[in-house]
Amino acid sequence: MIHLENVSKVYNNGIEALKNISLDIDNGEFVFIVGPSGAGKSTFLKLLIREEKATFGKIIVSGYDLMKIRRSKIPYLRRKMGIVFQDFRLIAKMNVYDNVAFAMRVIGSPEKAIKKRVKEVLNLVELDGKEKRKPNEISGGEQQRVSLARALVNKPDMIIADEPTGNIDPDLSFDIMKLLVEINKTGTTVIIVTHEHDLVKEFGGRIITIEDGEIKSDEKYPTKYHEKEADKK
Amino acid sequence: MKIFYLIKEGFKNIWTNRMMSLASVIVLVSCLIITGAASLISINVTALISKIGDDDQITVYLDYDLDDLRSIKLGSQLNKIKNIDSYSFFSRDDAIKQYKEVLGSIYESMQDDGNPFGNAYKVKLKDLSQYKKTVDEIKRVEGVSSVSDRSDIAGKLTKLNYFVTIVGSWVVLVLALVTLFIISNTIKMTMYSRRYEISIMKSVGATNSFIRVPFIIEAMVIGLVSGLAAASVICSVYMPVRTAAAGIIGFIGDSTFTVEQIILPTFIAMSVTGILIGLIGGFISIARYLKKEGGEIIGW
Ligand SMILES: Nc1ncnc2c1ncn2[C@@H]1O[C@H](COP(=O)(O)OP(=O)(O)O)[C@@H](O)[C@H]1O
Ligand SMILES: [Mg+2]
Repeated sequence: MIHLENVSKVYNNGIEALKNISLDIDNGEFVFIVGPSGAGKSTFLKLLIREEKATFGKIIVSGYDLMKIRRSKIPYLRRKMGIVFQDFRLIAKMNVYDNVAFAMRVIGSPEKAIKKRVKEVLNLVELDGKEKRKPNEISGGEQQRVSLARALVNKPDMIIADEPTGNIDPDLSFDIMKLLVEINKTGTTVIIVTHEHDLVKEFGGRIITIEDGEIKSDEKYPTKYHEKEADKK
Repeated sequence: MKIFYLIKEGFKNIWTNRMMSLASVIVLVSCLIITGAASLISINVTALISKIGDDDQITVYLDYDLDDLRSIKLGSQLNKIKNIDSYSFFSRDDAIKQYKEVLGSIYESMQDDGNPFGNAYKVKLKDLSQYKKTVDEIKRVEGVSSVSDRSDIAGKLTKLNYFVTIVGSWVVLVLALVTLFIISNTIKMTMYSRRYEISIMKSVGATNSFIRVPFIIEAMVIGLVSGLAAASVICSVYMPVRTAAAGIIGFIGDSTFTVEQIILPTFIAMSVTGILIGLIGGFISIARYLKKEGGEIIGW
């Protein structure tokens, strides 16, 4: 659960990136955040993972009060979320397997559990057989799938993605989105920042538009992918 | 498993940043050698002083031509002086023996013109504050030619020891600061060279204490390696230096510590000091690096 109440963020240079934002995102929602560049979308995500602290207002994420959270607790907040960046953020000298395993190693998981879980998520993102490849030996779409696997490997409550398809070919972008929908079906909240309107139209869900630091619109659309999901139930 | 992973990462850091690591080791080794040398000189000089010094003991020299029988009889005179705690006879033969010991090879090169010493008494006083008065009393006894002066070699050695300690402490302090600076910079550079990884670690929820461990291990290994290297240098130089010193003044030979005696303490002290300096330097730079709030995930 995410709860924002009258949240503003003013950076040190005086730029007010978010102005008096209030919104709730429930568990299991599939949310697109759209808006022009410089609107404050990344700032919004940074507040959620407590990379930045809001200047005013109230933010509750996964039970943590982000205005009061102690610095030593921030890592535990982040273990409840998987973050996907536009530039993949893979470690060049590590192979696919280690890049994913890394996220488990640094939170101190035992090697046996790592082996099992990494295999699982690599299978989910359809990268089995490419474990030994280095990031520069696979395509951009595949790199983003590695990064998605890394975000998923610690079983987060939510996936937060900042323009995950910004650096990859449109047809591969579609695959990434489908994967995110699959992940959402398992109950994981998915929040995607993007400005690819075609994709948003295709997938729908909840669409929050931010412009100039303010919420311009917040609407729910049905889409064929969600309908398909509904059909199955 | 987890700790092996962290140790491996620590060694990787050293390798990634090997030029800086080497520089820190060299500086730290120099610092430790100087510290160690100063300490060893100090403890050996202290040992020498306590051996020679015998501050509460004075030597009462008798007239050269006073024979043994009359010399021994003179003891009853000393007995009458109240401030004398105890006294023992120190014959001219004892004197020449000690002289040979003290001078060692120098003595060998001197001509043996018979025994130049007279008989003497070693006297211990009850109350040192009445030293001057008692010495005057002793001097009045017939047959006493002179009384040893306290401002002798022991006093000089005490001064030397003081000097070594003061100058040594300053040199060590300055070097320790330089070393801390170098080590913390080395660690800072490794952290900087791995900042991308650190930032990914932060984004997936690694705690600061986890992120810290490999860098602490890096700093400790640099400290330990330096400590071991410094101890090896000191121990291998100690023996020839001591032998050379004993060759000039034979007395040094049996009043100072042997290599066997110093080898273990030196290795322990150097390693512990090295590791400590590494740890402190490491903690300083890591704390500074991890302290900044916001903007942890670089380039986002
Ligand atoms: N760390 C920062 N310091 C100062 N200003 C910033 C910082 N990050 C973002 N901004 C400013 O805040 C505004 C919103 O930025 P951002 O949230 O990155 O927008 P978006 O992701 O929608 O493109 C922009 O004007 C940007 O220049
Ligand atoms: Mg952005």
